[in-house]
Amino acid sequence: MSSVPSHFWYSVNGRMLRAAWTRPQFKIVLIFLVALVALAIVLPMLSSVSATSISVRDRFAPPMLWEGGTAAHIFGTDQLGRDLLLRSLIGLRNAVLIGVVSVLGMFLLGSLIGIVAGYMGGVVDTVLMRITDAQMSIPVIILAITILGVSRPTPFSVILVLILAGWPTYARVIRSVTLTEGRKEFVRAAKIIGARNLRIMFRHIAPNILPPVAFIAVLDVARMMIFEAIFGFIGIGIQPPVPTFGNILADGTKYLINAWWITVVPGLFLFAALISLNLVGSALESARNEVLGGGSHDSRR
Amino acid sequence: MAFALTFLLRRLSQGLVIVLLVGFVIFSLLRIVPGDPVRIMVGPMATEEQVEQIAEDLGLRDPLPVQFGRYLADLARGDLGTSFIKATSGASVAGGRDDGSATRAQVLDLIVTAIPFSALLAGLGVLLAIAFSIPLGIAAGLYPNGWISRLTFAISSVFVSLPNIWLGILLILVISVQLGWLPAIGYKGIAYAVLPAIVLAVELSAVIVRALASAVASTMQENFVRAGIVRGLTMRHMITHHVLRNSAIPMLNLFGAQLGGLLLGSLFVVEYIFNYPGLGLLTVNAVFQRDFPVIQGVAILTTAVLVLINILVDLVSAGIDRRLQY
Repeated sequence: MSSVPSHFWYSVNGRMLRAAWTRPQFKIVLIFLVALVALAIVLPMLSSVSATSISVRDRFAPPMLWEGGTAAHIFGTDQLGRDLLLRSLIGLRNAVLIGVVSVLGMFLLGSLIGIVAGYMGGVVDTVLMRITDAQMSIPVIILAITILGVSRPTPFSVILVLILAGWPTYARVIRSVTLTEGRKEFVRAAKIIGARNLRIMFRHIAPNILPPVAFIAVLDVARMMIFEAIFGFIGIGIQPPVPTFGNILADGTKYLINAWWITVVPGLFLFAALISLNLVGSALESARNEVLGGGSHDSRR
Repeated sequence: MAFALTFLLRRLSQGLVIVLLVGFVIFSLLRIVPGDPVRIMVGPMATEEQVEQIAEDLGLRDPLPVQFGRYLADLARGDLGTSFIKATSGASVAGGRDDGSATRAQVLDLIVTAIPFSALLAGLGVLLAIAFSIPLGIAAGLYPNGWISRLTFAISSVFVSLPNIWLGILLILVISVQLGWLPAIGYKGIAYAVLPAIVLAVELSAVIVRALASAVASTMQENFVRAGIVRGLTMRHMITHHVLRNSAIPMLNLFGAQLGGLLLGSLFVVEYIFNYPGLGLLTVNAVFQRDFPVIQGVAILTTAVLVLINILVDLVSAGIDRRLQY
């Protein structure tokens, strides 16, 4: 923390983080989430077995506590004898990576469009907002099907689709923040001393956009992870043999009757990560309301 | 009345522009991506000349704007084109099995056949979601610090964190396979729609319950509630006559802007999981077969429906709350 300048904790962002941190549930859930993601990153690197190594002898091994389970595969194995714990963790790592990168992307694109539209106003604003509306009326699944379904999907194209689908929310919220911030005295003061538009937009207004979108971003990481799983399940996500929740679940449905754990185990990991993300996001949302005094900038959710 | 008319005209024309824009984007996307649909239609045995001949006949080698113009002209006459793959009989005729006798199905017919199934599923899902969320959401909003509010928060946190594919699989596993209470795969009667509708309802409820609770809670804070009590109205009267009506506006907006897209998205996924013969399954299968006319038709149709829902929602909100007309 020493690298953070002390005045940070008195800024609107610092106050929001402090307000969130005082909630006991926030701390517990955040620590759990960090531990889970750390496990997903570290364990596959340390493990001697690879997540794609096939072992016919170990096929359909149930989880350890069930009859026939072994300590070698705590959560059992799939139809090709691959370790489910390892595959779930790698799936989680990939999902988190895609979720975080795509949310960062939609946040950056949305901020850029939102700040410019809100600050410039007039024709620029109208045109940008009409584009935002048009983008918003395309359902994510239709967008994904048309872009990913007709070409060979890669991690990059999956992220691209998610960014395309997600940026309008950020653009709208950030535009309305910019509209209220842009009328405040410090912006007028900056104009009077001769600051250029670009400087005002990105030096003075940009730091204020974080509180209203921070919680949206955290909740969106969870939503994007669900979308990633859905894409993988329909077959338009990252392709096998790279383990993703979607393709593990899709494989598992073929063995539902004899080997329930192939679908249940990875789902539990995904669910654990999603619920912690959602709880962290909700805590940030109420912290924001506490700091900014309630009321939302845009009708969303 | 005059308000409603000008409002409708303005919004409908804006909506039309959006649908055309979306249509053109999707139309072009489907044509610039690799993967020749004609090759899939005729199968690997056809010669290069035959492929070119069929592509020429179908007009697939004309410039994009020309193709789009022709598509729009057909669209105006209610013709969405014919499927590349599906025969009228419902069987797949692609991959060289096309002996020339099978006529390819009209996209419109395929969509019209699928819509009742999807509508039944969506209707059942929305009904379940409303039956579950409205009592819970209102109760949580009236007692924002009570146990019911905490319970509601917990339920919606769990619901929003349940991936629909996993929930669908779990329901099949427990209710269908283990307990044998309900059928799960395909459609042979309304019982087949129950499990997929539950998945839809869980996803919708997660959002509705929380939004309703916060809408009711913030309406209760407003001055007019206290004013009503001071004037001698009972709390019960205030809640049933004023609070709920005022909380309806944010809920309606939610239904238009967010739930439409959410419902549609999960409908597609859920139909695929349960192999339920609606629009979603039709579209996902069309993707696998590169059946562009079908994908295009569904995309334009669903966008148009979403735009219409949004217009309708704004109109109804203005009807409930006259202040919005100004």
